[in-house]
Amino acid sequence: MMLEIRNLHKAFGSLEVLKGIDVNLEKGKVLAIIGPSGSGKTTLLRCINLLEMPDQGTMKLSDRELDFQPGRKISSREVTELRKHTGMVFQSYNLFPHKNVMDNIMEGPVVVQKKDKAQAFKTAQALLEKVGLGDRGSYYPHQLSGGQQQRVGIARAMAMEPDVLLFDEPTSALDPELVGEVLRVIKQLALEGRTMVIVTHEMKFAADVADHVILMDGGHIIEQGPPEQVINHPQSARAQQFMNRISGEDI
Amino acid sequence: MNDRQIQIVLDSFWPLFEAALKYTLPLAISSFAIGLLLAVLTALAQISGVRILKFIARAYVWIIRGTPLLVQLFIIFYGLPTIGIILPAFVAALIGFSLSVGAYGSEIVRSAIQSVPKGQWEAAYSIGMTRGQALRRVILPQAARVSVPPLANSFIGLVKDTSLASSITYIELFYKSQQVVARTYEALILYAEAAVIYLIFTSVLFVLQSYLEKRLGRSLSS
Repeated sequence: MMLEIRNLHKAFGSLEVLKGIDVNLEKGKVLAIIGPSGSGKTTLLRCINLLEMPDQGTMKLSDRELDFQPGRKISSREVTELRKHTGMVFQSYNLFPHKNVMDNIMEGPVVVQKKDKAQAFKTAQALLEKVGLGDRGSYYPHQLSGGQQQRVGIARAMAMEPDVLLFDEPTSALDPELVGEVLRVIKQLALEGRTMVIVTHEMKFAADVADHVILMDGGHIIEQGPPEQVINHPQSARAQQFMNRISGEDI
Repeated sequence: MNDRQIQIVLDSFWPLFEAALKYTLPLAISSFAIGLLLAVLTALAQISGVRILKFIARAYVWIIRGTPLLVQLFIIFYGLPTIGIILPAFVAALIGFSLSVGAYGSEIVRSAIQSVPKGQWEAAYSIGMTRGQALRRVILPQAARVSVPPLANSFIGLVKDTSLASSITYIELFYKSQQVVARTYEALILYAEAAVIYLIFTSVLFVLQSYLEKRLGRSLSS
């Protein structure tokens, strides 16, 4: 089991956003998290790499175990250590604008993992080719389209060789005609057996790529299972309601 | 102007200009360099989580911004000797101006840092950077670009503020022009001449500032 989350709770002030979440994810599998805005899906994703600090619960990532208790502080060293083994792709890419594409990808391996520069360059170049941007290494982020920037973001996350790849609505900020190129890259990664957690609104994509789907609402998991069940034939009433609403708006 | 006045202007031009080069500019440049370092440290102290650092930084900025620069210079040069600390005019001026640049500059640097999108911090953290690495490698370089226009303005203002150093016996451009007036009684002509020399320096600096902003602008936007 690559990722095990038990009884995760997170509140922002008096607003409870995660109300006791359990997740299991095996190595090489893809988990899609779907649900309405405010359901807690992005918060859950951000708890995995501790961009949000859970209030309560346990999380086991590969062989690293973390126990969250109210009042108990996790050391920043533990937090940083965990983050070196996760990679995140952001909705608004968040590339470093003052560095070119190659430097963006090499930043993690060279500065954080202290890898040799020449070796990091070779790995970065290979990753760039894999996402279809092999000739853009010396470009700056502002010179690329949204879809290209996101693909660089994916390469940057992969450069750290993470145990788990986290995607926070990777295509939500993209023009429709650019969404496909990013989804193709993500699908390729899934076929290669990467362990991934994807928060997305793209239902068809989630159905195509995910091994397991979690539908969240109001801080709870209201349905989970394989995509054929959760997306195509939801069993709980609330899940059916949500999927009906969505398919009404789906193009 | 009659011939005598024209002669006075011509005779005093180089001594005044030289004073600006030898005394005004070095004071401005060295105070700005020290002040900038102070500004960055103060800004970092204000955004750190450490309460005592935040308090000292805020108190420092509040006091310096809340009191006149001229009064600060007098306290350092004329006030400190009464408790046994006697400083040469240049050193007193350097300290006074550095503290001033540090305080005003820290507000510029702090807002520049806070203007960097939160997503940049998150991206840095997501690849395993510590807060220090994120600041050094990702945040400060971006904050630096944003802070160039206001800091350039700050420097140009400082060049003009160095005229206050004349009141604590530092012999720079304005002090020298006062000396010539004392000799020749041509106050209007000499002070106008001093103003023109300041204008020459600030105009050159404004041109340099636009050039710098254009260069930086090109690298960040298409």
